[in-house]
Amino acid sequence: MIRLFAVIERDLKKFQRNPVVLAMSLLMPLIYLVILGNSFQGKLTDLPVAVVDQDAGPHAKRVMENLRAIEAGPKTFSLMPMKDMQEAIAGVKEGRYKAAVVIPVDFSKKVTLQARPEVGLFLDNPDSISSEMIRNLLNAALLSIRSGYVPIRERADEVHLRDINLFPKVDYYQSLVPGVVIMAIFLGVLTTGAFNLVMDRFLGIDESYLLTPLSKSHIVSGLMISGLLITTAIAAVILVVSMLITGIPLSRGVVQIVPLFIVVVLTTLCLLGLMFVILGRAAHPRIVGVLSGFLNVILFFPSGAVYPIASFPGWLKTFAKINPEAYAVHALKSLLFKNASMASISGDILFLAFFTVVTMTLSILTFKRTL
Amino acid sequence: MEKAKAIAVSEITKTFGSLTAVDHVSFDVGQGEFFGFLGPNGAGKTTLIRILTTLLKPTSGNAIVSGCDVLKEPADVRKQIGVVPQAMTSDLDLTGYENMDLYGRFYGIHAGDRKERIRYLLDMVGLSQRANDLVATYSGGMRRRLEIARVLVHRPRLLFLDEPTIGLDPQSKHVVWDFLGRLIEGDSMTIFLTTHYMEEAEILCGRVAIIDSGKIIAIGSPTELKANIPGNDIVSLVVANLAVERIAAIERLSFVHKVIAEENSLRVYVDNGAKNLTLLIDDVRASGGTVLSATVHEQSLEDVFIHYTGKSIREEEAKKVSFLIGAGIPQKFGR
Repeated sequence: MIRLFAVIERDLKKFQRNPVVLAMSLLMPLIYLVILGNSFQGKLTDLPVAVVDQDAGPHAKRVMENLRAIEAGPKTFSLMPMKDMQEAIAGVKEGRYKAAVVIPVDFSKKVTLQARPEVGLFLDNPDSISSEMIRNLLNAALLSIRSGYVPIRERADEVHLRDINLFPKVDYYQSLVPGVVIMAIFLGVLTTGAFNLVMDRFLGIDESYLLTPLSKSHIVSGLMISGLLITTAIAAVILVVSMLITGIPLSRGVVQIVPLFIVVVLTTLCLLGLMFVILGRAAHPRIVGVLSGFLNVILFFPSGAVYPIASFPGWLKTFAKINPEAYAVHALKSLLFKNASMASISGDILFLAFFTVVTMTLSILTFKRTL
Repeated sequence: MEKAKAIAVSEITKTFGSLTAVDHVSFDVGQGEFFGFLGPNGAGKTTLIRILTTLLKPTSGNAIVSGCDVLKEPADVRKQIGVVPQAMTSDLDLTGYENMDLYGRFYGIHAGDRKERIRYLLDMVGLSQRANDLVATYSGGMRRRLEIARVLVHRPRLLFLDEPTIGLDPQSKHVVWDFLGRLIEGDSMTIFLTTHYMEEAEILCGRVAIIDSGKIIAIGSPTELKANIPGNDIVSLVVANLAVERIAAIERLSFVHKVIAEENSLRVYVDNGAKNLTLLIDDVRASGGTVLSATVHEQSLEDVFIHYTGKSIREEEAKKVSFLIGAGIPQKFGR
């Protein structure tokens, strides 16, 4: 035990002497929350759309009113009324507008005559997300002008949808919290555990402890435990701070902290183990750099933190089944937003524990005790 | 009665791909000996030390270190030895004391013993004043002294030092030599040292093995090794206009044992160099040559090396790819 503690203490001391890394590990996930929250916003707003009304007839006015209603209400787009159609199209081509809507000269006449009236829509189609959104909204706006008047009273035979939220309402920022916590864990794991092994090897310092009676498991588990301590501490701070920022309540009180903590610890161990298996024999920090960017993308995006796993294609769903971050996100979401009990996340816990045992065993087995 | 063996090496060979770093090497080191491995960089010294200290597995052959088999009982070997690798291996982010303390704990030494021992050793290497400073602030010489002190924390009976003075200035070098000299006097410790400095081997070692291209070419005490060289002095001459066939004639002179010619310089192994120098110069002149400079010196291990390999250690060094090994840079070769 004296040996294991020495390995742990060495690593913790070295981390402590490098406060910049600690500050960055704490700050960066929170910046993620702010940047991700604002760049990925759940709904689209303020898309610039040029409108050219060449008709100016009564029906064209109706279309314009509907468009303005959208501009004022959901604020999906902001309208730029223009005179010249060519200029509007050029604006889309140059990227100043996301779309140009052209109401042709004979529009109102054709509506009255029911002679297939058309409205032109020029789209910045490579930006598929905003194009799709504008097309759908415009279709809706055009549909409603077909009926000559707006019904004042609701019709009795109309079917209504009444949606009932099973869980307390979760806003977009709050929904990002599990992902941000996973990011924090990932960052912590990157700068501890196997990374220190690679650095020691790169600096040639590993020789000094490989020459001592330390066993494989002393070295591997010592580095893992210090990595676990540091990473869990960082993740816990991030979890608490981001819950406070976004206003997620502890619905079950302090008791809820226990399962949250268990998920954080197990996720950390999984990722530490994974890094150890992959980096166990690496000798250059550049490998860690390349790998970390890659791993972050392939583990984080298919984790369900930003997009529902159910919408993934089959092969990606299969990958999500072995992705520890997917289980971690599911467990955190259940605990934070669905008031879940330990029992309902036992599947996640089991997988994370299993993954930990497998990677830890592999790490110790594949660790080379010689140079 | 034969002394107990601290190290017994039999037929060790290590190859890296097509390169044979250590080639069928066998030798013994007795208990309490100060044994030196002398050879140019790239001769296989570090590879051999890594095999003896369990960091590398030999391609063939075996060694018994401190009574334990390096292949079958590497953990037992590690418990009994102390190793100062060639590269600086102390942790820059930790203080000198912390470096030593952690090392002591790696060996399972308990707090009380540790504290006392570390204070004693730091004092011995003159680092007591700087014990609580980060190693990052130490000079190369201080780091080296710390690393030698660190390896003594667990009182090893056998100490391996791989080029302990490489990259140190002459003053720091002498401090380390002084310290190593005192070590062997005090305890009944065995020391195995590799070096490419002749002077270091001559000052410190009781017995020396000369290694070149992975093979041991001579082994014995510095005095014995020097006794093997013909003559007792060496005359170095720089000449001009000397016909090559005249060299054989010089070799036939009664007081000359051997001549090694390299371009316009001659190394002449002679008896009583001071007396015979003028005769030698006369002979060169008589053959139509001009003597540009002449020096006489007593034989050293350098001459032993030249005698056995026909080239000087410095030339050997120049030929090696120097980026592989440099002072203070971790030696990645062989990983």
